[in-house]
Amino acid sequence: MNIYVTGAATTKFGELWGVSPRTLARQAAFGALKDASVEAERVEALFVGNMLSGMLGGQEHLGAFFAEELGLSIPAFKIEGACASGGLAVHNAAFSVLSGQYETVLVLGIEKMTDHKPEDVATALMGAGSEEERSAGATFPGLYALLARVYMKEYGTTQEQLAAVAVKNHYHASLNPNAQFCNPITVEQVMKSSKIADPLKLLDCSPISDGAAAIVISKKKKGNSVQIMASAVATDTLGLAQRKSMTELKATQEAAKKAYEQAKISPRDVHLAEVHDCFTIAEILAMEDLGFYKKGSAAGAVGKKNHLVINPSGGLKGCGHPVGATGVKQIAELVEQLRGNAGARQVKGAKIGLAQNVGGSGATAVVHILCKVR
Amino acid sequence: MQSPVKIWRNQKKIQSLIGITGKIISWTIVRVPPGGFGDQAPYPVAVIALKNGEKITAQVVDFDEKHLIFGQEVVTVVRRVTQPNTEGIIPYGIKVKPL
Repeated sequence: MNIYVTGAATTKFGELWGVSPRTLARQAAFGALKDASVEAERVEALFVGNMLSGMLGGQEHLGAFFAEELGLSIPAFKIEGACASGGLAVHNAAFSVLSGQYETVLVLGIEKMTDHKPEDVATALMGAGSEEERSAGATFPGLYALLARVYMKEYGTTQEQLAAVAVKNHYHASLNPNAQFCNPITVEQVMKSSKIADPLKLLDCSPISDGAAAIVISKKKKGNSVQIMASAVATDTLGLAQRKSMTELKATQEAAKKAYEQAKISPRDVHLAEVHDCFTIAEILAMEDLGFYKKGSAAGAVGKKNHLVINPSGGLKGCGHPVGATGVKQIAELVEQLRGNAGARQVKGAKIGLAQNVGGSGATAVVHILCKVR
Repeated sequence: MQSPVKIWRNQKKIQSLIGITGKIISWTIVRVPPGGFGDQAPYPVAVIALKNGEKITAQVVDFDEKHLIFGQEVVTVVRRVTQPNTEGIIPYGIKVKPL
């Protein structure tokens, strides 16, 4: 694809009680525009990735809301696909530029979650599941716990092996100044953390977070641009019980297959990947469904020296998971890495990066592949 | 979120799902529940493969710890789902109990 990310910015992620969504949006959006050296007036459309503004904040119509905040009167859209909202916004923005109708567009991923009570956030997030799952009193940790239980039985994976994912991602996050968590943790701490939905414990779960990220997508490249090689989306049943297999996410597999075809590369060519580790089991599933490891073998590779680095930003677990922002933050991280500007967490020699963003328990998957401009 | 009209409309579907046996294929214990479920937590939620070929996600009731195993036989029953909402309607739905 001859389209480029010309600018990217991420706000601090975390429990930001003193910061409003408007402020987060301005920080991310103007940060990305400045990074791209583009005047705001040059932006022709705005794509906002967000899930919960209506259910939690009572504010919908986010396209016009944030266009106004940025001082723009341009076509503007809210794109919603649960925790994949950010990735879907990037996909829509990329395809709008590919269509030839826009030259430069802005993508903003944003979520404000910590203003609200945890049970209200849990209820709102379950909007991403099926009616049957809501009636069962399931939660998102609960749904991924159901997947973890089957996976662990099938492949003999231990809780300690799952915990190693959280340990690795906290370590990466400790090198990322924008991450929610800067504290390294141990497997023992994960094992001793309180149970949330057995077998998942508190430190197996990504946190509730506030944050925003923005990128500028353009038809024309500049000196520090990163090329978008592929942008693919796939969907599966909303409820996880209705799927054939509980040890894989078919939507991830299908989106990845399409993305590798678009980019004309194989999984072996990827140097780093930002994957959707909303829970530790989700990173294991992603490592396999994206084709990096054979089914059942990913857990053994976590925390060891591998052919690629997974979640250098700290992932959802360490960096934080403001749901609508996550998919855009993943792209912003790839941009920084591929430019070689990622500081202490720089993946050496990174030329090709992949981002995988998942909505619900796997009903939506978005895969992007980016590369350094040659 | 539970409108009385929606609850009324769902009655037929609930009726069609009563008394079907099946087996547990996965389960978890929800310890941090969503709104409306606070008085029931912690509670097990399972994926069940029903005899009719369908798979469902449902809460497990009337159970002992020994019932939370792969392959445990269960049957679908009607139970209250959440605390009554502000309209005073008590929502009922499908749960499963061990056989």
